[in-house]
Amino acid sequence: MVQSVSGGTGSDQPANSSKAKPRVLPSRRRARRAWLTLGIVVVAIGVLLYKGLGNSLVYFRTASEAVQDRAQLGNRTFRLEGVVVPGSVHATGTGVDFSVESSNVFVQVHDTANPPQLFQPNIPVVLVGHFQGNIFLSNQIMVKHSANYVAAHPDRVATVNGKKL
Amino acid sequence: MESKRYKRVRRAAGIASLLSVAVTVILGLWVTPPDVVQGQLVRLIYVHPPVAWVAYLAYGVTSIASILYLWKRTRNLRWDLLAVSSAEVGVIFTGLTLITGSIWGRPAWGVWWTWDARLTTTALLFVLYLGYLALRRVPADSHQRAVRSAIAGLIAFIDVPIVHQSVVWWRTLHQGATVLNPSLSPKIHGEMATTLLIGFISFTFVYIWMLMQRYQIADLEQRVLDVELEQLIKERRNEPGVGSSQIESTEDVDNADQPSKV
Repeated sequence: MVQSVSGGTGSDQPANSSKAKPRVLPSRRRARRAWLTLGIVVVAIGVLLYKGLGNSLVYFRTASEAVQDRAQLGNRTFRLEGVVVPGSVHATGTGVDFSVESSNVFVQVHDTANPPQLFQPNIPVVLVGHFQGNIFLSNQIMVKHSANYVAAHPDRVATVNGKKL
Repeated sequence: MESKRYKRVRRAAGIASLLSVAVTVILGLWVTPPDVVQGQLVRLIYVHPPVAWVAYLAYGVTSIASILYLWKRTRNLRWDLLAVSSAEVGVIFTGLTLITGSIWGRPAWGVWWTWDARLTTTALLFVLYLGYLALRRVPADSHQRAVRSAIAGLIAFIDVPIVHQSVVWWRTLHQGATVLNPSLSPKIHGEMATTLLIGFISFTFVYIWMLMQRYQIADLEQRVLDVELEQLIKERRNEPGVGSSQIESTEDVDNADQPSKV
């Protein structure tokens, strides 16, 4: 059977394409939906700007800045940044105790959350928490790794007669 | 209709995408070594920055096409179709940037998300271009829509350099740029750097292929609208009691989505 180009293949399909409802005129529903989507987008932009201005402009204070502003900070929650001091890390039952350093200022940290897998001495971290006395009580550790990438096993390919090149 | 040359270029871009992405996957997963700090997690670098780069590139193309539409001497509805096609691909790649970044962030940083400047401005970029796409859905005639969205697209683009510079301008959890850093000295070694470069090239091919595919669809959609419009006018003309003067009076309605002004 030869089918005409304009004819439908199934019996329930409209045979004549001119019967299809023209989509040229924008329906009111379509317009409403577009405005609604735009409204949601505007709200989302507002939320992001609010969150951004509230958090991102001063995302963290370095350990030395935090010590300097100690009185002003009180026991307010903020983000503290510093490098994990080698030899200071002690695992506790619930988290880890350690010190962080920035510009030769040290802050003792008592953390109650599980540290992330890259947590290690000499790595910069951002901690969320507050001061209690001179100790920073942290309930979240975020590792701030650098933008440098170095192969972990530079010698793994270069061996001749079992000797490293 | 689609020219033979267009089809050939699109197909070539498709094949180049497949091949280069395959090479990136093989190099990224098997050939390159783990990183000294990040271990196996480093492998996400062959995907995440290239995907983010494509988002920048896509919005750059949208901006250029928008300018070319706004400039009267080069005004052509095709620039508008190119702008929206590229913006759509850009939104997909911004979404992928956020998703791959989140997947990388969870094991590397310890969190899926944080409100630092890089992450917040990237999320803003995503929402801004979603807004651009939503704005295009607001009924208007083709010219009006093209002008409106060209302006919106250019405003949204302001966020692109802000996203890129955010790690320099503000304190962030996100690391700085490895390759395009202020001192322009790549901080990545040997075959890792080569694979990263291949990653950038391969996702650029993917972008070209997707853009060409999407542009083709935009072009076809426009043609369908034109045909339907013609048909509608014809039908109305044939309606009993509708004189030519009445058809004239409905012109403003019929003009919707008609590209004839350009």
